[in-house]
Amino acid sequence: MILLQSPSRFLLQILKDRIVSGDKGVDIDCHTVEFDDVRYHVQFSMRNPKVMVLSVALPLAPPEAILYDGLPLGAIDAIKAAYGAVVQILDPPKDCFDLTMKINLTKLPTDEEQRNVVLTQIASVREVVLGAPLKLLLRHLASKTVAPNVDKLVALVHRPNESFFLAPQADKVTVVYPMRFQDSIDIVLATSFLQEFVEARRTAALNNAPSCMWSPVPPLELKGVNADALDANAGFVTFVVFPRHVEGRKLDKTVWSLLTFHAYVSYHVKCSEGFMHTRMRRRVESLIQALDRAKSDAEKLKKLVHGGSFRRLSMKHEGNSNH
Amino acid sequence: MANTLRLYLTCIRNTLEAAMCLQNFPCQEVERHNKPEVELKTSPELLLNPVLICRNEAEKCLVETSINSIRISLKVKQADELENILAKKFLRFLSMRAEAFQVLRRKPVQGYDISFLITNYHCEDMHKHKLIDFIVQFMEVSKGLVNEQLTARVSLDMFVVSEMFILRASM
Repeated sequence: MILLQSPSRFLLQILKDRIVSGDKGVDIDCHTVEFDDVRYHVQFSMRNPKVMVLSVALPLAPPEAILYDGLPLGAIDAIKAAYGAVVQILDPPKDCFDLTMKINLTKLPTDEEQRNVVLTQIASVREVVLGAPLKLLLRHLASKTVAPNVDKLVALVHRPNESFFLAPQADKVTVVYPMRFQDSIDIVLATSFLQEFVEARRTAALNNAPSCMWSPVPPLELKGVNADALDANAGFVTFVVFPRHVEGRKLDKTVWSLLTFHAYVSYHVKCSEGFMHTRMRRRVESLIQALDRAKSDAEKLKKLVHGGSFRRLSMKHEGNSNH
Repeated sequence: MANTLRLYLTCIRNTLEAAMCLQNFPCQEVERHNKPEVELKTSPELLLNPVLICRNEAEKCLVETSINSIRISLKVKQADELENILAKKFLRFLSMRAEAFQVLRRKPVQGYDISFLITNYHCEDMHKHKLIDFIVQFMEVSKGLVNEQLTARVSLDMFVVSEMFILRASM
């Protein structure tokens, strides 16, 4: 899996199991975390087995990101538009969560294929909620306008206490990610990974892709942002998205890619660490073999002779006892 | 480039061949003890002059010899931070498996990345020339592979992965 998938496997599995299992429901009450930032809480009760209560906790927002009732701009509308009658939003949400939804499984379409589409969409609740403001801005870009009442620089939360920035203009949107990593090894790997990103963009086949830049200092777009939001230890990545990248069906893909950029990078940083480990293991094995070769044959021979003499001795002994 | 590396390795090989003439030698201070003198350094008459072989500032090899043991310390070249991490990880990986290597010292001598300690017992149950082969091979592996091949592979992987990401956006 090189690219991250948008529906959460966990939610999708639970929903599918529930639909297969029919009316004989059991209590389910479980939590899960996705990409180290979004928390889910799933509840089914015995009394109405066809109703799932799903609570979602979004990453803690830094001060520069603006939320409306704890949710990103346009999230409620996006949920209503995406799920329709199947989902009912509970207000206020459960303690420690930002959004609680009641999902009525009896209202799902009866056709299996259509039902799977809706279930997948429910499982991608992360994309719907967190991606709502991004989608709003990019949709305006597709029609080459700037969304009304939007600042020149919009901060969107994507990790706990971290945000990325969008500078919307009529003909392009500039997306800037301050990249932060905790581990010192991760920082170095991520930095070289991001530089590779810029290299990869230069190849001829990718001329249509959004242009990509990496710099160790904040780019000009971020002028005037408070210093806390700008201390990034792996540099800044800038993508410039043009209207042709958000046409029609491309919009969803672009939103998801931009939304999970950090998770994507850190996932691959971990992968290359794993890859390094496997190679080292193999190398160590070959070195140990080289050392084994150095052990003198004389020693091995001695052992063999020793073993042989033991056997002979015991045979003689047996022979003696028989006689 | 490859030529200077060969010269460097040949020089180390010759030095080791000359230096590796070890004999059993019981400790002079404590009765019934037999310790590697190069580690103790209590009696100067048992130590020989250490030899330092440098290819450049970043790559060097220190060979310290005594009557019953020899200590070889290596410093591996680390050009950038990625190589630094790879080398550090690899050498730490090895040090943690020092048991399996027998001649590997668990902790490197200060200022070096990895050290070997070869005693007369090792020389007795292993072929001397093969032991030297092992050390030279080790140097080749940790130098050539950590720094060039592995880095190249990691960057290549990163390149492919980032290409995929950008491709998806452009489709």
